[in-house]
Amino acid sequence: MPKSMSVVREAIAGDEADDAMVERVAAGQAKKQVKAGRKVLPIVEGVVLVAALLAPLVLQDYLTVFATRVIILALFALSFDLVWGYAGIMSFGQALFFGSAGYGVALLARDLNITNILLVLPAGTLIGLTFALLLGGFLLLGRHPSSVIFVSLGTLTGSYAADRLARGWYYLGGQNGIPSIAPMSIGGYEFTEGPAFYYLVLGILVVVYLLCRFLVRSQFGLALAGLRENEQRIAFFGYKAQHLKAIIFAIGGAIAGLAGSLYAFHEGFVWPNMVGVVVSTQVVLYVLFGGSGTLIGAVIGTVIVEGVSFWLSDNYRDIWPIILGLLLLLVILFRPLGLISFVLGERERVGSFGAKAREKRDAP
Amino acid sequence: MANAFVAAFEILSFGAIIVLIVLGLGIIASMMGIFNFAQGEFVLLGAYITYLAYAKGLPIWAGMLAAPVVVGALGFVLEALIIRRFYAAPIVAMLGTYALGLIIREAVRGLIGGFYLTVPEPIGGSIDIGTIHISAWRFTIIVITLLVMAGCYLLLSRTSFGLRMRATLENPSLARASGISTPLMYGATFAFGSALAGLAGALIVPVFSLYADLGLRFLIQGFVAVMVGGVGSFIGPVAGAGVIGTLSAALPWVMAPVVADVLVFVLAIVFIKFRPQGLIAGKGV
Repeated sequence: MPKSMSVVREAIAGDEADDAMVERVAAGQAKKQVKAGRKVLPIVEGVVLVAALLAPLVLQDYLTVFATRVIILALFALSFDLVWGYAGIMSFGQALFFGSAGYGVALLARDLNITNILLVLPAGTLIGLTFALLLGGFLLLGRHPSSVIFVSLGTLTGSYAADRLARGWYYLGGQNGIPSIAPMSIGGYEFTEGPAFYYLVLGILVVVYLLCRFLVRSQFGLALAGLRENEQRIAFFGYKAQHLKAIIFAIGGAIAGLAGSLYAFHEGFVWPNMVGVVVSTQVVLYVLFGGSGTLIGAVIGTVIVEGVSFWLSDNYRDIWPIILGLLLLLVILFRPLGLISFVLGERERVGSFGAKAREKRDAP
Repeated sequence: MANAFVAAFEILSFGAIIVLIVLGLGIIASMMGIFNFAQGEFVLLGAYITYLAYAKGLPIWAGMLAAPVVVGALGFVLEALIIRRFYAAPIVAMLGTYALGLIIREAVRGLIGGFYLTVPEPIGGSIDIGTIHISAWRFTIIVITLLVMAGCYLLLSRTSFGLRMRATLENPSLARASGISTPLMYGATFAFGSALAGLAGALIVPVFSLYADLGLRFLIQGFVAVMVGGVGSFIGPVAGAGVIGTLSAALPWVMAPVVADVLVFVLAIVFIKFRPQGLIAGKGV
């Protein structure tokens, strides 16, 4: 047998999945015929932006601090949505880039006294980018395309190994992590928890979001969406599928690194969970809940999961994770495209790339 | 010399434990093409059932026999209700079974809290060979692992049930056309894999105690072992588990445990990258 059974089976399974997807989409499309001409995505994005801008004005102080954390995690979720929602790479170890950047800036602050925002944020981004380039290059590039399962296990293992390393390495603080990181600063001003920090991360989120939006609506993004839907076909068209994947994986790593460095300074400490499997799977939850492949779905998912967690964990601390698991299972079974698919047609998710393209296609 | 023997025994018994845990995982992965992320939680359930039997004053052996039966039955029900919907897409299956595992793990955590609960060894004491003492229970685990492996092999290769199973694996539509109820075979395979996990949990709980993250501890190790061994055959995952289990038990004797732990995984991933078909390329069972 030239290839192992699993590869063949996976290819077949992939086709069946496609068929299942087509059926599901067709069913959804029939229901949403009315909405086909209207664009829902920009409306959703606008509502979220306005809500985010107004949040600190109506929230109490401790809730603003919480909202800041949610926005940082949303930035992190964005990075996962790029690699999973667009390119179909199941990165089960996205926390590796998030956490290693967090550790990196924590070390900069602790050992070199560098807390200048203009230095630490690019440093964190660079750490995420470098790690993602190394891991992604190893896992994704090569003579034979890697199987989806291999990439997901490879990233999961990378994240697990980093977790173990952080726990056991005295220099990184071991089990306790690195406590009391000095606040981020610019000139003489220090960013401590509160509205200023909130608007800073919101600004960063908006900028990164717009960059991602531009990216996924370009030709590059179209090729990525093609990869997600049917990799073999895209490769057959002459695209270097593996290179595209490695590039988006690296970009995702850079954004995760940026989020990780913001998180480290906002919380004021880093600890091994941040690079490990726990946070890695958490980000998968966010994106699945909200809806993958829409960018805004990742943000909404983060807000919902974290918000409901926050609200429920006081009253139902013990059973909340079980409820979370059940909800996740229901979403996977009945709404594989996440909650946003209630309002969004599949056509818009795959992308109407620009007004002109739409006019041309809609013309009789 | 005596020390070396004890060390070798420790390494061997840990390898056997990993083989036991991976056996069910490998069968489900090879037969059905899905990586069951809830497998660790099936191990946890097996351990929990054994603990329950012990806590209620029943003999531990009774709990250890009940564990595979109950977990296997649960596996059959879950396959029919949930897992069945995932066969079309392996990644969705990973996520779905992860959610399932999360539910089971947190439910058990709710029941036992954050404690480490202990169950005594059904066969206590040690086997003495001259001046060497080895744990009798760990020795029993090795023996049982060998028996279970032989049993699985015979079941899959010598019985009509095994033949139907392999037929379903090779070509589901042809198997269906030949009158094999493929949904039933999938259910049975999943139940069988779950039962093995339940048994593994029952046997290892005296060694590792019972805590909510017990299954999680072995999950990644199990997956890596299956990939290293090679999906698609019976013997592949077993061989992979032997290698991974032995390595992760042996390396800490010569280097810092953390470094050893990380090194095993790095080596495994590099190995899979350059030999994706695994140690033993799959040719069915």
